[in-house]
Amino acid sequence: MSLMFDMSLFQLTMLMMAPLIIACLGETIIERSGILNVGIEGIVTLGSVTGFLLTYYSGSAVIGCLVAALSGSVLTLLLAYFSITLRANQIVIGLGIFVLGLGISPTIYRLAVGVVQSIPQVPTLREISIPLLGGIPFIGEIFFRQNGLVYLSYFLVAAVSFFLFKTPLGLRLRACGENPRAADTVGIDVARMRYGACAVGGLFLGVAGAYLPLVISGSFTDNIVNGRGWLALMLVIFGRWIPVWSFVGALLFAYVDAFQFKVNALPQFAKIIPPQFLLMLPYVFAMIVLVQVARGAESPRALTRPYDREARD
Amino acid sequence: MTEKIAACVEMYGVSKSFGEVRALDAVDFEAAKGEIHALLGENGAGKTTLMNILSGLYRMDEGQIAVEGREVDIHSPQDAIAVGVGMVHQHVELIGNFTALENILLGREGSRWKLDVEARRSSVEELAANYGLSIPLDEQVKTLPAGIQQKVEILKALYHGADILILDEPTTMLTPHEVDVLFTILKSFAKGGLTVIFITHKIQEVLDNCDRITVFRGGRKIDTILREEATRDRLVQMMMGERGMPPEGERPAGPSAARGGHPALSVRGVHTSAKWGVPLKNVSFDVPRGLIVGLAGISGNGQKELAEALAGLIELEEGEVHLGGEDVSGLSVSGRIAEGMSLLPQDRIEEGILPSLSLAENFVLGLHPHIFKRRGVFERETAHALGRKAIAEFNILARNEHVPAAHLSGGNIQKTIVARSVMLAHETGKTLMIANNPTRGLDVMAASFVHGCLRELRAQGAGVLFISEDLDELCLMSDCIVVIYTGEILGSFDGPEYDIYQIGALMAGQKQEEVS
Repeated sequence: MSLMFDMSLFQLTMLMMAPLIIACLGETIIERSGILNVGIEGIVTLGSVTGFLLTYYSGSAVIGCLVAALSGSVLTLLLAYFSITLRANQIVIGLGIFVLGLGISPTIYRLAVGVVQSIPQVPTLREISIPLLGGIPFIGEIFFRQNGLVYLSYFLVAAVSFFLFKTPLGLRLRACGENPRAADTVGIDVARMRYGACAVGGLFLGVAGAYLPLVISGSFTDNIVNGRGWLALMLVIFGRWIPVWSFVGALLFAYVDAFQFKVNALPQFAKIIPPQFLLMLPYVFAMIVLVQVARGAESPRALTRPYDREARD
Repeated sequence: MTEKIAACVEMYGVSKSFGEVRALDAVDFEAAKGEIHALLGENGAGKTTLMNILSGLYRMDEGQIAVEGREVDIHSPQDAIAVGVGMVHQHVELIGNFTALENILLGREGSRWKLDVEARRSSVEELAANYGLSIPLDEQVKTLPAGIQQKVEILKALYHGADILILDEPTTMLTPHEVDVLFTILKSFAKGGLTVIFITHKIQEVLDNCDRITVFRGGRKIDTILREEATRDRLVQMMMGERGMPPEGERPAGPSAARGGHPALSVRGVHTSAKWGVPLKNVSFDVPRGLIVGLAGISGNGQKELAEALAGLIELEEGEVHLGGEDVSGLSVSGRIAEGMSLLPQDRIEEGILPSLSLAENFVLGLHPHIFKRRGVFERETAHALGRKAIAEFNILARNEHVPAAHLSGGNIQKTIVARSVMLAHETGKTLMIANNPTRGLDVMAASFVHGCLRELRAQGAGVLFISEDLDELCLMSDCIVVIYTGEILGSFDGPEYDIYQIGALMAGQKQEEVS
């Protein structure tokens, strides 16, 4: 039992939570505008390779994150072009983007790094303890002794919530996702809003990708994302397109993920439970929770529906 | 007319095509300040298209628009709002899970960075009070009845600065009483200097409520006349041209015409679950043989759910459905069809046809066990012969029986579905027809044809359950009318003469005792 309430387990949970929620927030912005981006896994993968390489060559994690963000945005805008301007089927295009991102990322990596003896490594981000807050026993140790990107993720949850529900622009964005014609008839440029959502949401996806090599592994491997993009996509539904609820979901999944990681490292468990079962745990958990939670979840009404002003019904 | 009316909106030589269809052909139109101007015409006459151009939703191919004497370019709804044009669409364009206030503010929130709904509340309330519109501002729009939603949309247009207010078929979703209220409001708008343009196909509304009338037919403007010059006959003549109105058809006889024996349909204490939409609560009524029973109600009060529950698409929680005396509550859809039920679905594209298959194949659907001689084999020639026969008999406009069904116009698709149901009824001696809004969106001729088919079924002794949101149509067709409100049957009326205000009160949720 003490294993489940271990301090280092909670700290690891926060560490694992950050990329999930950052990707999830990006996807939330995109979906709120009426675009379903099922290419998310591919876009996050591209973010992790560009983030890793730029950090490796420039020596600055900040530059790495910025370039990762940009690359995520560019690939998401490709999806936007097909979905908004060409009005293609978003599922088909999204799957195309997924495969493209997954394929192009290792290619970029090999072109840049070539064949080498030792795998390139970057130093993982240091823990920054927030003065005062970091000193609070228990709470402070869990939440405020983390790397900078974890703090960024807290900030983004608040910022995206505020944007969606407390700004005129957020109201307009949600209107485009619910009923684009209603938005159009009050003078909102639906295509521009959707492009904007994809551009900004894509930044988030790129950063979420960069997080993985910069914080967790220190290097790039082909399947570095390992389903986290899909998990973020599910977390959007789990949170019913509301950032705070997605944050709760991300914490839950990250906890199970961290738990499995810790237990696998203990030799006394390896004899009883095969490690594969433990690795499976977060995903099984995801399925069970989603089946319960997703029932009756209401998506934005116009999700996946292209908007054509002159379409007649 | 001697005095010159100052034109507020002028449109010259407006043309618009959708693919090969010329929806508007060099139309001129003008409306004056302070008048209620009716655009009258059949479905497909081009009136909505013209107004969609004025409100910036459609781009015209040719033509010019001037507002208050100045020529304007309207390329988007934004341009239209800027020159003071606001439109209330037939199916209101609101966002269901926003509050009324959020819907009104959307696009003109009054601040750039911080959304402060409360700060704008007083100005919206003031506007509402000025125009005599009372609206619960904090309710989610989807929970409001259609009449209130419409008021939200009107207030939204006014908040966005409209002084030219366009309403597209504003009365279709309203009860007769609500219609009166709406026109009282519109008249006060006009008195206050607004230009009100309303689109309709109902002649009586035009005669009762407007100052001038512009009549459209087949994408052309026929003429604009003053209310004083208009008579029913003249408007009909302008609307229908050479064709004239279709013959009225036989009036309903009332419940006394019912034939003996078990009723065609008998519904007893039916309840359904809320997961299928509007839950039905203790629904009981009969459809006797040889009668048309009308189901009146404002859209979304359980009509669709009732039709689906009767057809066997929704399971009953409680209650029984009898067809000709047989309990079919436990039967599947096909079981019920075999027992004599036939259904005309509401959404003709989604549920009625196979869009990419040919007309002949669409006709054969459901009829196949009866006309194919060998089981399990598609007999091409039989199907084609059936298709040719149906096209000729039901006057369907199609090149031949090989055309994919989706290529037909809405009216002809509906004729196709009606033809199939009627042929099926003939072939198998069907005893019950459930027609769910069978004439929605059809022009007068096509609607009259559908009415004729239903009357013919009645004459043959079948029972017809006729569901419609158009109360006038119901009164014209039904031997008796039952009223549904939020999944409950609130009362019934015997024909052939009806008091539409009494029916309307029930449609709005008042109990029958309170009304009479």
